[in-house]
Amino acid sequence: MEDKWAPLEQSSEDREKIWRKNRTFAGDVWFRFRHKPTAIAGLVMILLLLLFSLLGPLFTPYSYADQNLRGVNIPPLMKVYEIPNGQRVYITQALKLLRVNSDNTLGEPLPFLREESGKSMSVFDCDGTELALYYGGGSYVVCDEQSGNIYSSGHVWNRTNLLGTDALGRDILARLMYGTRVSLAVAFVAVLVNLVIGILYGGLSGYLGGAADAVMMRIVDIISTIPLTLYVILIMVVLGPGLHSIIIALGTVYWVDMARVVRGQVLGLKQQEFVLAARTIGSSTKTILAQHLIPNAMGAILVTVTMLIPSAIFMEAFLGYLGIGLQPPLASLGTMCNDANANLRTSPYELFIPALVICLIMFAFNFVGDGLRDALDPKLKK
Amino acid sequence: MVKYFAKRLGMTLAAMLAIILITFCLMHAVPGGPFTSDRKVTPEVEAALNEKYGLNDPLPVQFVNYLGGLLHGDLGPSYKYTGKTVNEFIVNGFPVSARLGAATILFVLLAALPMGILAAVKNGRWQDMGIMAVATVGVTIPSFVIASILIYLFSFKLGWLPTYGLDSWKGYILPVIALGGYSVSYLARLTRSSLLEVMGQDYIRTARAKGLSEFKVITRHALRNALLPVITVLGPTVANLLTGSFVVEKIFAIPGLGVHFVNSVSQRDYTTIMGVTVFYAAFLMAMVLVVDVFYCLIDPRIKYE
Repeated sequence: MEDKWAPLEQSSEDREKIWRKNRTFAGDVWFRFRHKPTAIAGLVMILLLLLFSLLGPLFTPYSYADQNLRGVNIPPLMKVYEIPNGQRVYITQALKLLRVNSDNTLGEPLPFLREESGKSMSVFDCDGTELALYYGGGSYVVCDEQSGNIYSSGHVWNRTNLLGTDALGRDILARLMYGTRVSLAVAFVAVLVNLVIGILYGGLSGYLGGAADAVMMRIVDIISTIPLTLYVILIMVVLGPGLHSIIIALGTVYWVDMARVVRGQVLGLKQQEFVLAARTIGSSTKTILAQHLIPNAMGAILVTVTMLIPSAIFMEAFLGYLGIGLQPPLASLGTMCNDANANLRTSPYELFIPALVICLIMFAFNFVGDGLRDALDPKLKK
Repeated sequence: MVKYFAKRLGMTLAAMLAIILITFCLMHAVPGGPFTSDRKVTPEVEAALNEKYGLNDPLPVQFVNYLGGLLHGDLGPSYKYTGKTVNEFIVNGFPVSARLGAATILFVLLAALPMGILAAVKNGRWQDMGIMAVATVGVTIPSFVIASILIYLFSFKLGWLPTYGLDSWKGYILPVIALGGYSVSYLARLTRSSLLEVMGQDYIRTARAKGLSEFKVITRHALRNALLPVITVLGPTVANLLTGSFVVEKIFAIPGLGVHFVNSVSQRDYTTIMGVTVFYAAFLMAMVLVVDVFYCLIDPRIKYE
């Protein structure tokens, strides 16, 4: 048996060796990031929303603009009436009866026979059985015309339009996919534009320093005192409503924060020795900025980006809600909420569904932003 | 100190001038004249209108005239409502918005500070978790969603509160919550983190060591310093409330300035858009300036560069 007490073999090479696995900065950040459950939850949520909005439309037969005026404001959970011959029907808001198939999809409207205005009833024909739609009471019911017996009713999930339809009979699920895509795209592009302007402006200002910095920062100070919402609205007025106007309006307004962050980072970094070394070997300003300063400031920039995306989505929804965003039939989450407001009393789901998605997006980006901040700079963690 | 304030004032005035200039340029960059509309106007009438409102002058002259009007507090006539001036809109609308805004600020402070303090004092316990969960949800829900959910619940389902108007105190409840929801959550989080930071300082330990009750430590020693960052964000909070009121006034049909602004945007009433923007900007910048000055006065540690 081996002697457990024998001294370990020692070599001078091992003494300097780092036994722990070497971890890069990115690996380190990822390690801290994935140990935060909320951050991972946010990341997963963003990925799911992206999948939903990009691939979702492939799996739905409807487009965001298809109108079906026969079936407006149909909720996801429908109230259906069982009629004696085994069929089921649904009452539309226009006081028509739609056949509900056995697989819970909506079928053809039933043929209208006659109006019994004395009894407040409309009579329809369902495969030979006469049905009366009584509209005199508080809520509409389907009953037998002679006896007035109300047929039994129950709730079934709508299999034709999974999330129901809106006031023009458009499929909410399809619009939701499209709206999420528009909202995310607007936010991403606007933030990208901000990123470019902010990095150029802030980087130059911080690196040049002196009088140039003072002038550039005074300009930023002045712009930042202007209430941004007002300016986004003004720019929208000038450019007219539409997708590109929103992107331009949001893209040209939010760069101020980014410029400040980049300038602050560059200001701190440019004093360090590696910049001096780069300058000594004759690197140009462009190289120093692009190769040395900006990559080192990337952490703070990334955090600002993840925080800017929710504000851009917020602002887009805000504009959509005010009615100066996208024009119909285009959908964004904000315009969907705006459209739904007219029918809030009867069809609250039309508002709650897009509102829920807005909240999910906000949650996701806020969580990822928080997680990223803590992961990039553990000192900031409280 | 006087020098610092003078500098701040100068900056604010420069920003104001920039805002007026930008707004003026943007409004004149709109394709088509202010009288281009669906309803055709004969060329003679259009020429007469242009002449009447001085639109034939070169742009710099128009700008100087506009500035001159502003100095006298005259924001010009409305292009869409004949005989009405922008000043009338502001005089009629602003007091309504201001009342709603004042009620909201009061609500924000009364709700956010106790929430933040409670969360910080009970750090890590269920009270803290609960309050922070509410605050996290609060910053992620847009005001129009809060407003619609509140209307649905309290007006449609329960029938307790009116859906529109500010006729009684009941009418204020829903708009104030919808408008202040974001700020309450934000300020509560800020109060909590700032108080937590202060509670870790040496002078708090000293205060405890000399035998003060926890209540006294917090109210007399910790809060005085912890509330400083909260005061700094009051300026931006006012800005948030004002712009948030565009949506909230629209939902609750409150005849304030926000609704006027939104209407003038959709009707393309250029002088009204310009006038109300300038008014809003001036008001906001004045608020931010006042908060800054106030902040310097109460915190002697701030150096005046």
